[in-house]
Amino acid sequence: MSPVSATYWGISGYVIFWVMFIIAFGLFAQRLYFLFRLMALGKQENRFDRIGERIKNMLFEVVSQRCSLKSVTGRDLAGLGHAFMFWGFSFFLISYVVFIGLAEGFGLYPYIMGGTLETIYSSILDIAGLFVIIAIVWAAIRRYVVRPERLEISVEAGVIMIMVFSLMALHFCIEGFGLAGSGDTHDWPPVGAAFARFLSGAGISKSTLIAVSRGTWWLHYALILGFMVYIPRSKHLHVLASGVNILFKPLASKVVLEPIPLEAPEGSVTFGVSKIQDFTWKDLLDLYACAVCGRCHVNCPAQLSGKSLSPREVIHNLKEHLLEEGPGLLAGKAEEFSENQAKNMIGDVVTEDEIWACTTCGACQEVCPVNIEHVRKIIELRQNLVLVQNKMPESAQLMLRNMQTRGNPWAGAQSLRLRGDWTNDMGLKILGECENVNTLFWVGCTGALIERNVEATLSLTRVLKAAEVDFCVLGEAESCCGDPARRAGYEFQFQILAEENIEVFKSYGIKEIITSCPHCYNTIKNEYPMYGGDFKVVHYTELLADLIRQGRLKLTNELNSLLTYHDPCYLSRYNGVYLEPRRVLQTIPKAKLKEMERSKSTTFCCGGGGGHMWIEEQHGTTKINHVRMDEVIKTGAETVVTSCPYCLQMLEEGIEQKGVKDSLKAKDLVEVVEAAMKQS
Amino acid sequence: MDNHKGVLVCGEIAEGQLAPITIELLGVGRKLADELGEELSILLMGSKSGGLGQEAIAYGADNVYIAEESILDAYNSDAYTQAAANLCKKIVPSIMLFGHTDIGCDLSPRLNGRLGGGLAMECMELSIDPATKLLVSTRPVFGGNAHATMVSKSARPQMATMRAKTVPPAERNDARQGKVIPVEDKLDASAIKVRVVERIKEEVEGVKLEDAEVVVAGGRGMGTAQNFGMLRELAHVLGGAVGGTRVACDEGWAPATLQIGQSGKVVSPKLYIAVGLSGAMAHIAGCLGSKCIVAINKDKEANIFNVAHFGIVGDWKEVLPAMTAKFKELKAG
Amino acid sequence: MNIIVCVKQVLDPEIPPAKFKIDPETKQVIAPSGVPPVISVYDERAVEAACRLKDKHKGKITVISIGSEKASDVIKHAISMGADDGFVLNDAAFENLDSFGTAYVLGKAIQKIGGYDLILCGRQAADWGAGQVGSILAEILGIPVVTLACDIEAVDQNVRVKRIVNDGYEVVEAPMPSLVTVSSEIGLPRLPAGMRLMIARKKQIPVWKAQDIGAEASQLDKGNAHTEITSLTVPTRKTECEIVTGDTLSDAAVNLVSKLAKLI
Repeated sequence: MSPVSATYWGISGYVIFWVMFIIAFGLFAQRLYFLFRLMALGKQENRFDRIGERIKNMLFEVVSQRCSLKSVTGRDLAGLGHAFMFWGFSFFLISYVVFIGLAEGFGLYPYIMGGTLETIYSSILDIAGLFVIIAIVWAAIRRYVVRPERLEISVEAGVIMIMVFSLMALHFCIEGFGLAGSGDTHDWPPVGAAFARFLSGAGISKSTLIAVSRGTWWLHYALILGFMVYIPRSKHLHVLASGVNILFKPLASKVVLEPIPLEAPEGSVTFGVSKIQDFTWKDLLDLYACAVCGRCHVNCPAQLSGKSLSPREVIHNLKEHLLEEGPGLLAGKAEEFSENQAKNMIGDVVTEDEIWACTTCGACQEVCPVNIEHVRKIIELRQNLVLVQNKMPESAQLMLRNMQTRGNPWAGAQSLRLRGDWTNDMGLKILGECENVNTLFWVGCTGALIERNVEATLSLTRVLKAAEVDFCVLGEAESCCGDPARRAGYEFQFQILAEENIEVFKSYGIKEIITSCPHCYNTIKNEYPMYGGDFKVVHYTELLADLIRQGRLKLTNELNSLLTYHDPCYLSRYNGVYLEPRRVLQTIPKAKLKEMERSKSTTFCCGGGGGHMWIEEQHGTTKINHVRMDEVIKTGAETVVTSCPYCLQMLEEGIEQKGVKDSLKAKDLVEVVEAAMKQS
Repeated sequence: MDNHKGVLVCGEIAEGQLAPITIELLGVGRKLADELGEELSILLMGSKSGGLGQEAIAYGADNVYIAEESILDAYNSDAYTQAAANLCKKIVPSIMLFGHTDIGCDLSPRLNGRLGGGLAMECMELSIDPATKLLVSTRPVFGGNAHATMVSKSARPQMATMRAKTVPPAERNDARQGKVIPVEDKLDASAIKVRVVERIKEEVEGVKLEDAEVVVAGGRGMGTAQNFGMLRELAHVLGGAVGGTRVACDEGWAPATLQIGQSGKVVSPKLYIAVGLSGAMAHIAGCLGSKCIVAINKDKEANIFNVAHFGIVGDWKEVLPAMTAKFKELKAG
Repeated sequence: MNIIVCVKQVLDPEIPPAKFKIDPETKQVIAPSGVPPVISVYDERAVEAACRLKDKHKGKITVISIGSEKASDVIKHAISMGADDGFVLNDAAFENLDSFGTAYVLGKAIQKIGGYDLILCGRQAADWGAGQVGSILAEILGIPVVTLACDIEAVDQNVRVKRIVNDGYEVVEAPMPSLVTVSSEIGLPRLPAGMRLMIARKKQIPVWKAQDIGAEASQLDKGNAHTEITSLTVPTRKTECEIVTGDTLSDAAVNLVSKLAKLI
């Protein structure tokens, strides 16, 4: 007996059904349209390339729940709960369309209901419902009793849990009362049938049972519609937006920074972001997608060392700001794109301290289940501070001024060397003085100028020569790749350096570039192509792994020592290079490698990225490299190996300041490799 | 042929007395004049200068020119230039000496422009070439990285500004004889275009940097204004003064008046503690006269260790608190 | 308000001291290769001062520099900070001029540009540091000069300058047109903002020769130089530095203090 086909107080159930639906759907669509219009306030950005791949990827991520499962650890199983909730609820969603929409709304129940198929699907739903209830109870206990750091107590979360729980409970009631009322005594669906048997034994009249079943059906229907209306008005907007966000996620590199158009006349382009509508539509979509799950919050090195920055709060506050300013912006848009915003976004919504605390390590993005791009928002905010407002920490300004006037971030007095000094007596091929070499070893500023890092650079040149790699260097003609300028928001300086470097590479016919610094690596590999520079770029760890595989490099000396490998963010996380360095280390006889808890793509920042090699670290509860050093010490390793000049400096500083220099050394991977090579 | 004769010192008066630099200049001037066999004169300006004539003679001057107009009481670029130029036209000196002070730095190039002489600034050493009888001036160039000697072959007067404390003050001899000559010419008021609106003295807490026996100086490595406070604490314990490098003062961690080095103050304390500064030559130029230089720097290659007597290689953040505590203990015990 | 700023391109003063080399024969400094020359620090502050005045009063900033053709880099640097125009004064006769020669050439160029309210110079150059060009230039042009400025304001037809003196500062006023030399206390120069880096990069910088500005050869004759450099040396000073150590840095500090105890 279908509840909708009945007549209530003289009104056809169908009329009630559709009137309710139209009202609810209207509210739903109205909100979505509003959100869409807000999003459209953002600047243009093309994220429609490779659309087939994008769709495939999105379906895979969502259906498999890889998005939430990827961050499941022994400590944090919430992702698993989310997956069960998602899969379970998906069955219900299908049932809402089929059993409620088609069967009831369109009166197709005679064809749909009552068959074996319905029984099977209902049975599946029963089991799924149980899973969902278990997941809900677990989530509630976690959120309100266990209270992990990353979650905030929120009313919205409570509302949604009660709603979903009620939907499940009502589902069982409809089934139980319905089956009991119809006198059906099958064993399936299991929960509904069991409940029905219980009700039948309770001596309730059949008509009451049917009436209750019918009542709960309508309540259930109303709740589903309510759910639909509520979702886009709450943080659970992510249910709708996250899939779309995954669809438009960056495909090539982790952090996509769009070049500022140069041909536009002065005044017509905004530099960076100072108002919410300066973001691109994808940036605004990010805000909708955020579920405030807080995974970014508990993985952010700035947050973990007690700075004010929390990526979760940045995204959440920007979303609130968008929703607050949105209606005004939409209204004002007809007349003029206005200055009607009461709040200064930089300052009131996101503070300068927050903006400058970021090391651009990308830990937030790595763990974000919905592919939010936090880092570039921070960089775009910096662009505005630097290029328009001329506001930045003193230390950042000093560094940028050095880059602008001297072409490198290490000011004269901080560096006791000149760029080309390290090449003295090394018998290297210097570009411009040699011919027919199209492989360039790009050393980078730090590897060429800072004493400790020069040691590693020299070590690498010796290893490469021993393996008979044919390469040349630029020597004193080498410049900065531009990374520190770009991360600090000084986009034009980056652009100038990028263009100049590309021109140099091209003029010498360079095809392949070996880098020792992961920051240079990332910049030349992922960002230079946007400026017309397409080169084969390898990090030296990749090259060494390859040379070992080819047998050109033999590591024979024993290393009876416990090592741990610190993954540089820009190598492992940004570029997925974490197997190669491990492969190299494992080739060394008797070397034991012990992993830190945070490693590979979820490595933890040394504190030196994003210009922070030069930008003074803000006052927090501790320093970022101290946090990392604690993790290194926990492994009991005698040597912490890394493959980035910044990391090496930061780790050594950490060792010094933690007072463990007797038991722990920091080494560049190539230094370990050189020691393991047979001395001829 | 050449009617330029004699050495003229441009005197400065501080708190009613001949300024220390002026006494040093009289010493140098006497030596130069004696080598040339010429007279040493001094120009004193302002209404308070009348009583200082004998004083200047006691320190070695043969002639003291006193320009007592009240407009010369405080330094005014236009008035001083005019007064000095008038005197030069009258006595046509061969050599003219100034202190490398704010007054000397302003007045000497201006006067030079007007007289068409040859000027060397910030000199550390002045001598007479025995063969040519020309004034040979030695001065730091390239931020103290090099020293240049200069001469003026034909341009007169030969002028120089002299850094403070590079030569001992002249010896006083009250028996010495000389002439005090009042300058009669009145200044042309219409040529005085620059007007001083106000003068503000910046009071420095504690000991004056130039007079301190202990100086604690910080540089780029200090990182923040807050960190600079730790230097003050150490200086306070030692009863000394705090100074900064150009970078530190540019960054506003210390006031510009506490800048040590070229274009800043020159100090020569007993103990100079250099913290977090690499030792750019321009800075070292300002502290090289110190009896004992102590360097604390992370970088063992830093240039400061080339001029220091004692050093610690390490982060000052760990060294400084321990030093301050230990000094405190010593002072208390 | 029309401002002319005189700037000089110098060897980067921040090169490591060990890299500083001279040629005693020619009495010149040998610039280490691969180190780009920079704008003299005080001159950069003068450009900053000009930009601040322009921010407030509008007007035009013109920058001039005597130097090699590469001096266009410092002009471009000034333009990236906010200057509007610039010229390089390049001629074989302009090489190694003394302060009078430099002031003469600058004066000729300034007379050619004309129509100025204010001329700004750095207090001294970061290389030879003669510290006189500004004052001599003012005497040549017959305008008032105020030196060692740490703040400049324009009040009606006057410049009001806060200048550094030994124990504080004084505020002086001079009628415009006048010349002001700028000291580093004026504050850090701005980082070129917005599109200015790009604008400056594209700008063509005209080069003026002696004949373009009507400079007379007799005035540039080295034989008439007011001053002449007779020698250039690098002072050797190497003190034996005793590096004090200890188990920890704190211990080292304590050891150091005991060595210094007799001094205090």
